[in-house]
Amino acid sequence: MTVLALAGVTRVHGDGETAVHALKGVSLQVGEGELVAVMGPSGSGKSTLLNLAGGLDRPTSGAVHVDGRDLATVRDLAALRRRSVGYVFQDLNLITSLTAAENVMLPRELDGVRSRRARAEAMAVLTEIGAESLADRFPDELSGGQRQRVAIARALVGERRLLLADEPTGALDTPTGDEILRLLAARCAAGASVLLVTHEPRYAAWADRVVFLRDGVIADATDVPMASAR
Amino acid sequence: MSIRHGLLALLSRGPRHGYQLRVEFEASTGATWPLNVGQVYTTLARMERDGLVEPGETDDQGRVVYAMTDAGRAEMERWFTTPVVPSDRPRDELVIKLAMAVEAKEVEVAEVIRRQRTATMRTLQQLTRAKRDSAEGAARLLVLDSMIFQAEAEQRWLDHCEAVLKEAR
Repeated sequence: MTVLALAGVTRVHGDGETAVHALKGVSLQVGEGELVAVMGPSGSGKSTLLNLAGGLDRPTSGAVHVDGRDLATVRDLAALRRRSVGYVFQDLNLITSLTAAENVMLPRELDGVRSRRARAEAMAVLTEIGAESLADRFPDELSGGQRQRVAIARALVGERRLLLADEPTGALDTPTGDEILRLLAARCAAGASVLLVTHEPRYAAWADRVVFLRDGVIADATDVPMASAR
Repeated sequence: MSIRHGLLALLSRGPRHGYQLRVEFEASTGATWPLNVGQVYTTLARMERDGLVEPGETDDQGRVVYAMTDAGRAEMERWFTTPVVPSDRPRDELVIKLAMAVEAKEVEVAEVIRRQRTATMRTLQQLTRAKRDSAEGAARLLVLDSMIFQAEAEQRWLDHCEAVLKEAR
């Protein structure tokens, strides 16, 4: 099943002489349980691609489908982001005045879920990723790797199965970065789908499929999904 | 580095016979340096000649158990306290190929880089998968890490080549 589909997506910033063509007709699909990495230098269009996939930006032309829904027809994109799509960034992921568990609960509470149930869901996902012992700590009391684990938990809490990760290992040393990718790969094995943007080959290599983005077009990709190798 | 240094390191854990040394050597280094048992016994014979190991008892299957001597211990210590000097590396075909692609006519260098980058990424994916699935010891994992870092360096170098050549055009 395809969780995320971009079809002929173009994004132009500005117009006329100064128009910047960030994406020029990109088509890409992410299947259920698949980890796809997008690699490219700065300015290649990686972040634009991720923003379009998560409904944070709209394409100039082409279509983006999440869970079969055309984002152009979705009225409440904020609700879609809370319910269907999780985001993990390089840093600034967590709210410093809330504990880890409260951070993870947040998207559920914003969605109207009662506190008790939101907490139960938060603890469930924290346990799934082996971070239950961090629940009552504040972000300042966590290491960089632990903060990213909590951010991943928050991105997956509830029914969300699509996780968009923008350089989630940027601030981490390599063993910790590897641990984050090991975690993302494990969540994919458990049924989540991940679109990872990175410029680091060692992290992209954890993906089932690596897509190379150059100047707004997909220049190449490693073979078919390797689901069978898992 | 020679096989004998590797064998000395394993013998520092206690006496072992040849087959056992071979199994442990491969478990530590992975497939990076496959040894056959004949190489191990030949090496042990030379090490015995040089006074680095001595044969001991024969086990119930008739295999001779070797132990490290004081001279062997000294040789192992010398090895571990001496930094490795980069030796004359074998010519790297990729480096030569890319340099020649830049010089040659009618060759699309960007295309050579693109193909290689995808191939290197596949290698990197295979190594990462081996690492992910590996339940074996720390030594084996660190050997895989070394190969991962090398493939990663090649990938970075290719990106660098692409950026430099794009700039020059």
